Amino acid sequence: MEFRPTIVIEGVRDGRRLDSRLLEEEIQAAVEKGHRCIEVHAHGQHGIGGRLWRAKGEEVFVRILGSPGQRVGSMGFPNTKIEVMGPSSDDVGWLNAGAEIIVHGHATNGVGNAMAQGKIYIAGDIGARGMTMTKHNPRFAPPELWVLGSVGDFFAEFMAGGIAVICGHGTVRKENVLGYRPCVGMVGGMIYFRGPHGGYSEEDVRLTELTDDDWEWLKKNLKGFLRAINRSDLYGELTKKRKEWRLLIARKPYEKNGQKVRNMARFREEVWEKELGRGGMLGDLINIPRGSIDVIATGEMRRYVPLWENGKFLPPCQVACPSGIPVRQRWALIRSGKWEDAINLALYYTPLPATVCGFLCPNLCLQACTRSVENLPTLDLPALGRASLEAKEPKRASETGKKIAILGGGPAGLSLAWHLWLAGHDPVIYEREQEVGGKIREVIPKSRIPDEVLQHELMRVMEKVRVITLGNKINGRLLQQWKRVYEFIVIAIGAGVGKKIPIPGSERALTAYEFLRLSKKDMITVGKKVVVIGAGNVGCDVACEAFRLGAESVVLVDIQEPASFGEERKKAEKLGARFIWPRVAKAITEEGVELTEGELLPADMVVMAIGDVPDVSFLPPEIKRNGPFIAVDERYRTSDPMIYAIGDSVRLGLITDAVGAGKVVAEDIDRRLRGKEDVVDVIKPVVEKSRIKLAYYDPLTTLSDLDACALQCSSCGLCRDCHMCETICPRGAISRRELDGGDYEYVVNDEKCIGCGFCADACPCGIWQMKENYPLE
Amino acid sequence: MEPVGKITPSSLSPYDLPWRVLWDKEKCTLCGRCTAVCPVKAIELGVHRKRLLSVPLNLTEKPGQVFTVYHGIDQKTDPAYACIGCAMCELVCPNGAIKPIRSRDIDKLRFHINQGGNPRRRGGRRNDARSVLDEIKFIRISMLTDPALDAGRHEFELRTLLGRILPAEELDQYEWIPPVREIYPLIIGGMSFGALSPTMWEGIQMGVAYLNEEKGLPVRVSTGEGGCPPRLLRSRFLKYVILQIASGYFGWDEIIRALPEMKEDPCAIEIKYGQGAKPGDGGLLMWHKVNKLIAAIRGVPQGVSLPSPPTHQTKYSIEESVAKMIQSMSMAWGFRVPVYPKISGTSTALAVLNNLARNSYAAALAIDGEDGGTGAAYNVSLDHMGHPIASNVRDAYLNLVKIGKQNEIPIIAAGGIGKNGNLAANAAALIMLGASAVQVGKYIMQAAGGCLGAENDRCNICNIGLCPKGITSQDPRLYLRLDPEKVAERIVDLFLSFDTELKKIVAPLGRSTSLPIGMSDALGISDKNAAERLSIKYVV
Repeated sequence: MEFRPTIVIEGVRDGRRLDSRLLEEEIQAAVEKGHRCIEVHAHGQHGIGGRLWRAKGEEVFVRILGSPGQRVGSMGFPNTKIEVMGPSSDDVGWLNAGAEIIVHGHATNGVGNAMAQGKIYIAGDIGARGMTMTKHNPRFAPPELWVLGSVGDFFAEFMAGGIAVICGHGTVRKENVLGYRPCVGMVGGMIYFRGPHGGYSEEDVRLTELTDDDWEWLKKNLKGFLRAINRSDLYGELTKKRKEWRLLIARKPYEKNGQKVRNMARFREEVWEKELGRGGMLGDLINIPRGSIDVIATGEMRRYVPLWENGKFLPPCQVACPSGIPVRQRWALIRSGKWEDAINLALYYTPLPATVCGFLCPNLCLQACTRSVENLPTLDLPALGRASLEAKEPKRASETGKKIAILGGGPAGLSLAWHLWLAGHDPVIYEREQEVGGKIREVIPKSRIPDEVLQHELMRVMEKVRVITLGNKINGRLLQQWKRVYEFIVIAIGAGVGKKIPIPGSERALTAYEFLRLSKKDMITVGKKVVVIGAGNVGCDVACEAFRLGAESVVLVDIQEPASFGEERKKAEKLGARFIWPRVAKAITEEGVELTEGELLPADMVVMAIGDVPDVSFLPPEIKRNGPFIAVDERYRTSDPMIYAIGDSVRLGLITDAVGAGKVVAEDIDRRLRGKEDVVDVIKPVVEKSRIKLAYYDPLTTLSDLDACALQCSSCGLCRDCHMCETICPRGAISRRELDGGDYEYVVNDEKCIGCGFCADACPCGIWQMKENYPLE
Repeated sequence: MEPVGKITPSSLSPYDLPWRVLWDKEKCTLCGRCTAVCPVKAIELGVHRKRLLSVPLNLTEKPGQVFTVYHGIDQKTDPAYACIGCAMCELVCPNGAIKPIRSRDIDKLRFHINQGGNPRRRGGRRNDARSVLDEIKFIRISMLTDPALDAGRHEFELRTLLGRILPAEELDQYEWIPPVREIYPLIIGGMSFGALSPTMWEGIQMGVAYLNEEKGLPVRVSTGEGGCPPRLLRSRFLKYVILQIASGYFGWDEIIRALPEMKEDPCAIEIKYGQGAKPGDGGLLMWHKVNKLIAAIRGVPQGVSLPSPPTHQTKYSIEESVAKMIQSMSMAWGFRVPVYPKISGTSTALAVLNNLARNSYAAALAIDGEDGGTGAAYNVSLDHMGHPIASNVRDAYLNLVKIGKQNEIPIIAAGGIGKNGNLAANAAALIMLGASAVQVGKYIMQAAGGCLGAENDRCNICNIGLCPKGITSQDPRLYLRLDPEKVAERIVDLFLSFDTELKKIVAPLGRSTSLPIGMSDALGISDKNAAERLSIKYVV
């Protein structure tokens, strides 16, 4: 169609440039008046050819000669066709809403920025940021930008729709027709281009070949473009090789996620390990397996592993007993119905279970009992002791014929003799008195130990062991003789000399030892008012005996809080004994005991119960002393390797201590006689009480008999076979396994166990222990 | 816990502990996962006796009672086993039946955690969530005043220079051009091989290599003091590594012997004089952590404790420290590698800086503020020793400005950057206060390793080798929980997101071609005293 302007609008009047506002007003007025073919001689005016809606939908042609300013055809309407007869400035077709804009030359930056409809044809190259922010409104055809040459940098940034075609013809940018960094943030539309490129935002667009439909569209519409710019002659050249054309298409949002980048696993494989070697940075030093391990691990990756430590630890009761009587085991035997075994077991440890455990011992085992942590009812150990009166003795070891002299037939000497005899040796007791029994027989009141019990148990020893009554004949020379006859000599003479405080009138007082020896035989007349100086357990015995023999009042005086405890104290208190302390006796007079505080305690009998010492005057001076006592090492050996000393001659103690010492020395002698002196017994450690769970026991239980006691024993460190561990294990990793001889054990399946520690925490007896797994390198 | 029969001064109830373990009997299935995972054995299975009374209505009969036993999860109260709040129990519980909660009271444990006369030691952090850096705002927003930049669209040169820039006249004088590296301004600070587990260490290195080689981000990582694995020393990845030398000199014979086989120079050498978290306190890697691997890398026998003294033994003055160490380390690589000291934040930092400014071989000064993290330190050092980084860096920078050398010697800032998660904002604030680059450690552990530590004294047991995430443990049973590959992925994630955030900060300022180092007119704070102290704008 030939262009015949009905009006020509000059951009320069009288040599002066017309203001953009006035030119715009003239163009709008011309359209209003009915001009549909307008020629503008531009001189840098802004926005020429846009917004021509006043044409009421009729086509309007605007031809621009001269130099148009920025934004030619901005906000162009679909009825508008603009032709710039030379090059154009920035932002051609800015916010174009449908105009067709032809530029017969190059255009500078910002071509088609934010255009939504219409077409822009550029007969040359364009500058930077062309086709940016373009849109495709689905109600209308997409906008198009056709460029004969190439585009500048940052092309198609944030392009959201429309079609751009870059023909790559006759451009100076021969190396790259798409410019630097095109398509950043592009989310819609497509770009046809022909010629080399220097990369694009791969994150946003993908490069493809043209489909047949694309190619057909291009060929068809290329004709119109070339016609518009009067270069139809190029059609053949531009369509000769379809391969020269390629297409950039915006990625869909979901395609963006699938960016082709090397993931870390591949990087590790292809880059990291390739440079560093197999196994990576540390592959030459350690092996780190791929991946990671489970937080809750089994097998060797557990941090802690359970150990079934059945019997590894001693219970506190057994440790507390000087004779090491296995109390726990005795209750266990009762629980399993082996009554006799439980009773008989005592004689392996003491010849006097009924006398000592049953009557005289303060039961150190019970004091140490784990049950006391929670004040659970005390087990009736004395009953177990008394039940052993009828115990059957163990089988004696085969006789060795080795002779051992024991000086003194008290609890220490009797215990020693018993154990030596059991071990097959031949002990001989030399006793000062007519009968053996020592302090038990001589001074402990009958109220505390029935005669028939004591007699029965003394007979148990005397039936087996030779006793020679020696009287007071012992002396150094005799010892020397014995050394030739006996393998060893053991001094077990006790502490037979009562001590007295050297205060005025002390000669008026009896020692407790004297008093009790006489009282036991009812050979003493007791006063009405008795004062006992020293309120320990012996003092309590004195008080009881004094009451028995007719005393009306007994006062026990001590310089400190009395050390007496247990049965003795209770009995004395029950009978009405009065304890006063701290008081210091100053003198003993006819009236009684004078105290330093000035008080007078009326008394017609005064007894000093402040302890006894042994009479060791017969011992040769080479044997070392420890004050009034005989010095010994931890095995009760004196400074003479052939001579031992035990019991109260070594240090004052409980009867049970003396009995225990006898056992210890018997074992030492046996080892020496058998040449096994160097064999060291591994002493098991005592179980930690915190490992024992007392919550399993009834705190209000009534311990009516030994069976009930056996059930309540917490069996510290010895499996009760209760299946608690097997049950509590959340992985079913623990099972019970029968062993030969009716024995059993609980075992862990390491591949199931996670090391949670439930078995150890739930075990009533503290058998399971969580140990750190062995260290891994 | 067992009921207490007798009390001692240190008898505590769970209420007295900083963390209390809540257990729900209804939800619990006694699966054992919580007690299996607890790093400090703070919980155990408890056996409980329960007493039930049955009382007939109208009291027609004598009431009866029965005892039953149940099992449940108990918290131990022995200070040695106090819960650390790591919440691994909750993480592994299938039923949501257990969780630690922070005591609202001031805990009583702090008065009893010195059993045996040993003051508390811990790893981690200062346990103070306050942060001046968090309060700094970027107030200079260019819209029409400068060409506005778009963080998503524009290209940014977020690089910094590590090395000495000498003025032309001095270059002539020395006839030597000091080495300068163009690196990314966020540096991974020194966390030693030993302080960190092998998996964590390799993960960090792998991530850094990936960032360099796949993402074009020139990120650098300091080794900390504990040597460097022989393979890494002989690989091209060494150029991403800043080798640290400190007072223990561990691993340096291995580094020296690797010199002839090095394909690349390391990025730089960092001479550590002090650590912000525990200034004046040395380090000690306990013998039980010195296993075969650590021994090999540090070049020491297995199973010995490795002390890093608080000071370098052979240096007696600041001049000597600076001159001697920088010279020696420069010489090792033929003066091709930048060498710089790292000091604790201190009120005497300017004395060090002025010394360095006079020494053209000094490549930079790194200052580590009080909020830095550590593997192990005394509580008192962590909580009470050290200098905040903001004013220390600011003073240092303004001092350089005064002597006209602000573009010559870079200041590297560290200590508490991103302690509350605001990594980019904290880094940008320090850069605009005058830092050329920042170093982060704790943030890396948090973001890349999944460290559970928090400023409310959560976890913080990096010092005892029991890290439940395997970040600071040398026990394979723990560190194999951590997959180096996943650590590397997180390293990449955190740097890429940091990069975006940093752009989001600098773009509105109109900066794209260089870091806004010292651009303090962009900073504001609503605390007038802080504004005055830092010479930035007071805004409300």
